[in-house]
Amino acid sequence: MTDAAVVHEIPESNSHPSDTPIRFSFSGTGSEYFRIWIVNLLFSILTLGIYSAWAKVRRTRYFYGSTSVAGTSFEYHGNPVAILKGRIIAVLLIIIYNIAFEMSDLIGLLMLLLVMALTPWLIWKSLQFKLYNSSYRGIRFGFRGALKQIYWVYLALPILTMLSAFLLTPFTHQRVKKFQHQESRFGTSHFSFSGSVGSFYLAYLLVFVIWLVGVIAISVTLGGSLFAIITADVMDREAASAAGAAGIVLFLGVLYVWMFLLFPIFATLIQNLIWNHTQLGQHRFLSDMKWTRMAFITITNIIGIICTLGLFLPFAQIRAMKYRVECMALQPNGSLENFIAASQQQVSATGEGVADLLDFDLSL
Amino acid sequence: MSIPALYFDGKTSRAHQVTLSVEGGHATISGDAERSCPISELRVSERARNTKRKVTFPDDAYLEIVDTAAFDALLADTGHQDSFIVRMQQSWRGALGAVAATLVVLTLSYLYVLPLASEGIAKMLPERVERSISQGMLDFLDKRIFAPSKLPLARQQALIEQFKQLQPPREGVPNYRILFRKSKIGPNAFALPSGEIIITDELVQLMKNDEQIMGVLAHELGHLHERHLMRRVVQSSAIAALVTVVFGDASAIVANIPTLLLDMKYSRDAEREADDYAIAMMKANGIDLAHMAGGFEQLQATTRETTPPPYLSSHPSTDERIEHILKSR
Repeated sequence: MTDAAVVHEIPESNSHPSDTPIRFSFSGTGSEYFRIWIVNLLFSILTLGIYSAWAKVRRTRYFYGSTSVAGTSFEYHGNPVAILKGRIIAVLLIIIYNIAFEMSDLIGLLMLLLVMALTPWLIWKSLQFKLYNSSYRGIRFGFRGALKQIYWVYLALPILTMLSAFLLTPFTHQRVKKFQHQESRFGTSHFSFSGSVGSFYLAYLLVFVIWLVGVIAISVTLGGSLFAIITADVMDREAASAAGAAGIVLFLGVLYVWMFLLFPIFATLIQNLIWNHTQLGQHRFLSDMKWTRMAFITITNIIGIICTLGLFLPFAQIRAMKYRVECMALQPNGSLENFIAASQQQVSATGEGVADLLDFDLSL
Repeated sequence: MSIPALYFDGKTSRAHQVTLSVEGGHATISGDAERSCPISELRVSERARNTKRKVTFPDDAYLEIVDTAAFDALLADTGHQDSFIVRMQQSWRGALGAVAATLVVLTLSYLYVLPLASEGIAKMLPERVERSISQGMLDFLDKRIFAPSKLPLARQQALIEQFKQLQPPREGVPNYRILFRKSKIGPNAFALPSGEIIITDELVQLMKNDEQIMGVLAHELGHLHERHLMRRVVQSSAIAALVTVVFGDASAIVANIPTLLLDMKYSRDAEREADDYAIAMMKANGIDLAHMAGGFEQLQATTRETTPPPYLSSHPSTDERIEHILKSR
């Protein structure tokens, strides 16, 4: 769809509220993002990482500005100085945490408890920062959530999950997403989430079954031929053991690749599950990602990144992002013109920086 | 000149069809909404090829402009200029320059800055830190891999005494302690940052004569003297930090490969340095280097290592090391 077509569409969809889905579009290109990425990378390295906060804002702005739905794009308002402060605190925390265990087990344990107690709060701050600094059509998103809920969802549930030998994982995942989506708002309108615990268990079970079938298939084919090679009388013992070792390496390699292939399937199932059960006020979201396409993108991206020693990275990010964004659609129920802005608050970026460095995936 | 735009007032999601014109330092919109504002108070989003430009008013209201070419002309008339970084991002020449500059900076820091800086930091770190790190490592190893040595105490003492008699090749030898352990991992010897040199019973038994053992100990003393372990800790943290900056949120698996490969080179450099130290020590004490080379051959014979390609290895290949030792005679 060209830009002009989108613009023409707006007045129409405004005056005649329709309920045909409006697809999200992503206009960013790998070559342009590559230039943004490399220039900002250079300055980040030259300033020993200080500039990385500005780079993050610029990259995020590019992603947001390239994402549009119903003719208008998103905007990011994060303040680089706030992000820099968050990153400095994050680096200090990581250093202190790493030194603590070297000092003594007791200090290490105390630090571990402190970090565990702080993490839910940091995730909360990070979600707030990210949403308050995102806007669409001049209206900002927002995030509430009570402190009690934060600790339940991000501390108590994960601990319970571990104690349950991870049987509770789908349940916890559902609760986290439910919490994230129900506490998010756009202006004064709230998001809601209707994905059931059962559907999360089903998704996990499906991926587990696929994984198991694959592992059995790999074991039977590779294991069988391996056994045949080793027991064959043609080779002397040394050659047989060498072939055996190579076979085991191959076996583990194939298993690893299989796990890798499964991740896109899982991510696709979950993204579809989550967004097909999310509403903003009366408006519904739709997501129709295909795992085959996602697996293809993921694998070719990784090969590309490895073969180009990292230079393909920005192209890879754009490819994955474009596919994920363009699989989303908004099914409006009435006009998209009636959202009203809420009074705005400033939110600190401490959480944002920490979550970023510790590599949390807060993908919303 | 006036160009069409969509105006959002920041209070509702309604899109207002307006036209924007600039005159006398004031931007004026007219149409569904009317307003005027000095251009100095407006913020213009950065230029990018396929994204709509945004003009934001001080109160978060903003304009979205589709006709970027017309808007660029309008901006040029007002004397607005893209920042240096935006101009660099938008030109391939700037971007390729950035690629070249990044490669140069990364290579130089990897080859020169990082080793120097980590050597400095390793020397600055208080001994207490090294001691507690080493104690932690030794406790861990004693629990998992080591058992108390079965070598007779007299034999242990004799070896320690014999090594103490040797003259180190340089002044300023760090305090060191030689410890004997029985291991589950076969012949091995290594040094901890705080000065413990650990040598396994299996290695002592493997070596044909005491001179060979002295060579191994000298190599480990070399690691201590050069403070390789602390340097390595500092270096690998620095590389990990840099890789995080470069790869950002990329998959952890891809991001860890370069870290590993980059760290391997420092590790091989350290092994060569420790070999050179041991060579110098053997020479200073008139021990034939053939013993040291023999020691490596012994080791090679038992471990029967399959030689991986040099850049995938944390140690230089044993053949290369033996050749280097023999050449130094």
